[in-house]
Amino acid sequence: MIAIELETAGSVWKVLSKPGDRVKAGDTLFILEVMKMEVPYEAPVDGEVVAVHIAEGQVVEEDQLAMEIAE
Amino acid sequence: MNWKPETEEIARRRQLALEQGGADAVAKQHGKGKLTVRERIDKLLDPGSFEELGPAAGAAIHDENGELIGFDPANFVLGFGRIDGRRIIVGGEDFTMRGGSPSPAGLRKSVYTEELAVQYKLPLVRLHEGSGGSVGGTSGKGASLPGPVNAPARFRSVAEAMATVPVATAALGAVAGLPAGRLVASHFSVMSKATAQILTAGPAVVARAMGEQKSKEELGGWKVHTKNGTVDNGAADEAACLAEIRRFLSFMPANVEQLAPVIECDDPVDRRDEALLDIVPRDRRKAFDMRRIIRSLFDQASFFEVGAGYGRSQITGLARLNGQPVGVWANDCKFLAGSMTADGAHKARRFMELCETFSLPIVSLVDEPGFMIGSQAEREATIRHGTAAVLTAAMTNVPWASIMIRRSFGVAQAAHYGPEGFVLAWPSAESGPLPVEGGVAVAFQREIAAAPDPEARRRELEEELAARQSPFPRAEALGVHDLIDPRQTRTELCRWVDRI
Repeated sequence: MIAIELETAGSVWKVLSKPGDRVKAGDTLFILEVMKMEVPYEAPVDGEVVAVHIAEGQVVEEDQLAMEIAE
Repeated sequence: MNWKPETEEIARRRQLALEQGGADAVAKQHGKGKLTVRERIDKLLDPGSFEELGPAAGAAIHDENGELIGFDPANFVLGFGRIDGRRIIVGGEDFTMRGGSPSPAGLRKSVYTEELAVQYKLPLVRLHEGSGGSVGGTSGKGASLPGPVNAPARFRSVAEAMATVPVATAALGAVAGLPAGRLVASHFSVMSKATAQILTAGPAVVARAMGEQKSKEELGGWKVHTKNGTVDNGAADEAACLAEIRRFLSFMPANVEQLAPVIECDDPVDRRDEALLDIVPRDRRKAFDMRRIIRSLFDQASFFEVGAGYGRSQITGLARLNGQPVGVWANDCKFLAGSMTADGAHKARRFMELCETFSLPIVSLVDEPGFMIGSQAEREATIRHGTAAVLTAAMTNVPWASIMIRRSFGVAQAAHYGPEGFVLAWPSAESGPLPVEGGVAVAFQREIAAAPDPEARRRELEEELAARQSPFPRAEALGVHDLIDPRQTRTELCRWVDRI
């Protein structure tokens, strides 16, 4: 299981994948808005999204668990 | 009668010293995946270049007839050597003896390290693994005589070395107490992710004093210390750490009185990278890859990043322009929009001080939205640390070239320009007191609220003001030295470095 944790605080702008989605390494999983910039988070590996812990519009903190991917 | 018996004893003591803590202790060190200090030194230096200093220091062990039966060498190995043909001074604790905690002669050699570097004006490398003193004192029997009141200040030579020669250090095993302090008293430090921890005090002392039960790795592993800036870099293992030290020193002069070595460069100064034309998106919300720009502008593969794990909104490192070493500082808009955070400011300040100490010209790639804001930023005293970086820049004497890549806002942007610096702007450059998105909402609050469609009016105002932040009027007013095609940047920088 690969945990996608947030590198900074911010707000969730777009969530682009849901549980059950197959993703390829490099696919954008979700986009954070930080200081008015878009910060895309990409899948580090090929796999399946098994859990999504964030929602669009949510204010999030550094190190928060955002998604989990099963290889 | 000749001196043969003594000569033979010298040879025998030398041989015994090379055995370090003995075969078992060495095997134990290897069993933990670690090298001994002598192996580390050999790996760091050009082959066969080590010239040891003080190999006879230590304690001889005799039997009841006065025959030499053993020799415990001082547990700090010290000497001269060469890296890429250039002479340096290297020292390190011997962990196979007393866990690196200083023996009397070991302490003398370790203190001598800095004095030697200052005396010879040679770069200093320290390879650390060991703990500080023990309550029993250096003799281990608790009876050593306290130092006299007129002894020289203990850390004076450490500070003098920092002001005289490049100091590069590595944590290669657990480093605690005094060795931890000396590890960070350096211009560049790196720790081995596989084998090193850095501890002000180890788990037993922490448990006793604080009631906190933590392992060495939890207290002071690489995940802690590459993120907080205790060390500049983390490297996979010991060999990678030693390679980073060699790399760092390749950019450094031997001492503050000399200039950094210029090397032959086969990367053309007029190389144009077409990708630079569209690397900065027109949509200001979209980030770009600043490291890609860095790799493109400087000599091929010359960029050596320092401190990538902390203060991440700022990128700092060393690189070359047509063979000339320079310091590189840039914003990373992918991390907190590249804003000046408290730790980013601290990192930038350390970087500028390094460049100033060793006369390295600074190239600054500017995309600075301003100081980081919000409650966390206030708690971290961002304005204080940030302003310190601005003032540090203002007092530098080295030449600066600043390329305005995108944003250049607020008080924070001032940190990215040195006195009498050379300034070039890309067409994507925008500058002003603060970015329009934040500024418009505040300055035109009433007008926006009163408009029939406030959201549309806000956007209109933003676009209007963004146009005013364009680099063209600035160039017309000689507010920059030139407005350039981004593909021309490498050539311009190489010409600049040739002029200074």
